[in-house]
Amino acid sequence: MSERIEGVKKLFTSKSTRVETNRGESYYADLFEKCQARLKELRENGPINRLDFSEVLSENGVDRRDFMKWVSATTAMLMLPPMFSPLVAEAAELMNRAPVIWLELQDCAGNSEALLRSDGPKIDEIVLDIISLEFHETLQAASGFQAEKQLDDAIETFKGKYLLFVEGSIPMGMNGQFGTIGAGAETFYDHLMRVSKDAAAVIAVGSCATFGGVPAASPNPTGAVGVMDVVKGKPIINIPACPANPANMVGVVLHYVLTGQVPELDSLLRPKFAFGYRIHDNCERRAHFDAGEYVEEWGDEGAKNNFCLYKMGCKGPMTFNNCSIVRYNEAVNWPIGVGRGCIGCSEPDFWDKYAYERPMADAKIKAPTGGVEKSVDEFGLGLLTAAGIGIGIHAVASAVAGKKEDGGEA
Amino acid sequence: MSSEYKQVKRMTSTSRIIHWANAISMIVAIITGLYIGHPYYETLIADGAVDKYVMAWNRWGHFIVAIIFDVTSVVIAYLYFFSRFEKAYKKVIPTTKNIAEFFEVVLNLFTLNRRKKFDSTHMDSFNAVYFLIFHLLLAWMLFTGLQLYVGGLESGISSIGAWWPWLLHVATDWTIPVTGGTIMDVRIAHHYSMWFIVIWVVFHIYYQVWRTIFWKEGDIAIVIGGSKFVKEK
Repeated sequence: MSERIEGVKKLFTSKSTRVETNRGESYYADLFEKCQARLKELRENGPINRLDFSEVLSENGVDRRDFMKWVSATTAMLMLPPMFSPLVAEAAELMNRAPVIWLELQDCAGNSEALLRSDGPKIDEIVLDIISLEFHETLQAASGFQAEKQLDDAIETFKGKYLLFVEGSIPMGMNGQFGTIGAGAETFYDHLMRVSKDAAAVIAVGSCATFGGVPAASPNPTGAVGVMDVVKGKPIINIPACPANPANMVGVVLHYVLTGQVPELDSLLRPKFAFGYRIHDNCERRAHFDAGEYVEEWGDEGAKNNFCLYKMGCKGPMTFNNCSIVRYNEAVNWPIGVGRGCIGCSEPDFWDKYAYERPMADAKIKAPTGGVEKSVDEFGLGLLTAAGIGIGIHAVASAVAGKKEDGGEA
Repeated sequence: MSSEYKQVKRMTSTSRIIHWANAISMIVAIITGLYIGHPYYETLIADGAVDKYVMAWNRWGHFIVAIIFDVTSVVIAYLYFFSRFEKAYKKVIPTTKNIAEFFEVVLNLFTLNRRKKFDSTHMDSFNAVYFLIFHLLLAWMLFTGLQLYVGGLESGISSIGAWWPWLLHVATDWTIPVTGGTIMDVRIAHHYSMWFIVIWVVFHIYYQVWRTIFWKEGDIAIVIGGSKFVKEK
C-alpha cells in the first residue's frame, strides 16, 4: 500500500506526459547554439579510443548517402527540426568521446545481443560500436582480478563523466546472494551501487533493468527489482523493451553527446521521443482494428490478410513504444509485421499483466480473492451467479411467506 | 378505496430523466464495453475494410454514453447537496436515526416484510446508502475509463483544445498507482467494476419490484410517474 501511495505522490509531482513535438523557433535556435558549443568542446577534448567513425562506416560498406539518410531519420526520431541534421551527424562522429561502462546483471544478455547484431551491423549498431566501451563484462577479454582492475581504472579515469548502461535486474532476495560477480563475489546490488556512484547518468536498458522484467515476474523468487528502485540521486533513463531497440539506445547517447543532458522523460523515466506514443497509434494494421477485422486463430483467412491481432492478445493499444515506426534491425520488421501480437514488453510487469497472448478479458489473472487464477469475466459471472442465487432464495422465501401472511389477513 | 391512499411525490422529472438516461447509457456501455474488451462478434470478411467501422462505432458509442454519464454525474452530485426537492446526503450521514433506519430496512428485507418499523413515505437510509455505492462505482468507472481514454491523446492536443487531455491527466493519473502500477491494471479494474455495477443493477431492480409487491405502495411507479401511494393513517 505504501508503495502505491508513493506512486500517487510521484505522479502528481512529475511532469505531464504530454509529448511536445514543436517547442517554437526561439527554443530550437537557442538549443542549436548550445549543441554547437558542446560539440566544439567535445572535439577539442579528443577521442578516447582510436576508432574513426568514417573508417568504421566504410569498412562495413555504408556509404555517406546511407549515413545521411540515417541522420535524417534519427533527427526526426529525436523530435528535432531538420536544421539539427548536421549536428546529429557530427555527434555521431564524436560518439567515441563518450565513455561508457556496461554492467550485466540478472538477465539473458539479449540487450548486448541487440547492441552487437553480429550479423551485418547496421548504422545504429555501428554507432554503438564506436562509443568508448570502457568495460563490458560479457564482451571484454579480461576476466577475474584483471577485469576488476580495468573497471576500477575506468571509474577513476572518467569519474563523473561516464555513462553507465545497466542490463538486467537486481536480485534483492537473500541479501542479494542470488547474483554475485567478479573474483570478490560482490553481489549485483553492491556492484551496481559502487559503479553508479560516480556515473554522469545511469541508463537502464531492457525490461529487466528498468522494471525487473521477466526475473521479477510472479512469484519473483529472487526479489528482482529495476535500477530505478535502488539507485537514487542520479539521473536515470529507462529504455525498456525486450530487447531494447538499439535505435533508442543510440538516440539517448546521441542526445547526451549533442546536448550534454538527458532527454525529456515520462513518469516512468522513459524518453518521450521513443515512448511518448502507443504502438497502436502508428500500427500498420490499425485500420483493421477500427473495422473490426481480427485474426480469430493462427493461420486463418484473417491472418493471411494481415488483420488486426487484438483478439490474439495484441497489447499494442496499451503499450508505449516506437517500434511501429522505427521497427527493429534498421526498420526491417517488428512483431506485428511478422503476424504476431505485441506482448507489451516496454511496460512495467509486462510478463504478468501483458504477455498472456489473449485479450485482457480472457486472461487468467489472480482474482481479488487470491488463490485460483480466473479471468475477469469468470470472476464477474461467479459473483453475479452468487448474487442471483441470493436474490432467488429471497424471492422464493418472500413468495411462500408472503402468501401465508395474506392468508392470515383474509 | 382510493381515498384511503395519499399520493407522495418522490422524484422530480429531472431526476427521472437522468435515471432513464443512465439506465440506457449503462446498457449501451456494457454491450459496447464487452465488445471493446473482447470483440465477440465478427465482421464479414467479404466486405472491404472501408465499408465497416465496427470497433470504431463500438468505441464511439462507448465514449458517447460515457460523456452522458459524466454530465449526469455532475448534475446528480450537485443535486445531492443542493436539490430543492430532496437533499439525499442528509440520509447518508451516519446519525443515530439514520443508522437505526438503515438496519430497520435491512431487517424488513430479511424478515420478508414481517417487520416494518420505519417510515416508507420518503427515501430511506438503506436506499440512500445503496445509491451512494452506485455513484461511487460510477465515479470510479469514469476516472478509470478516462485514464484509458487519455492514452490515445498523447500528442497533448484534442479537437476541443489542449486543456482536455491536460485535465484528464491531472484528474485520472492517480488511478494507475492505485490499481497496481500499470495501465493494464486500470483496464482490469475498469472491467471488474463493470461486473460490480451489473450486480448492483440486478439487486436494485429486484429490490424495487419486491418493495412494490410486498409493501403495496406502488414504489415501482416512482421512477415513471414520480409518485408512490401510501395508506393514510
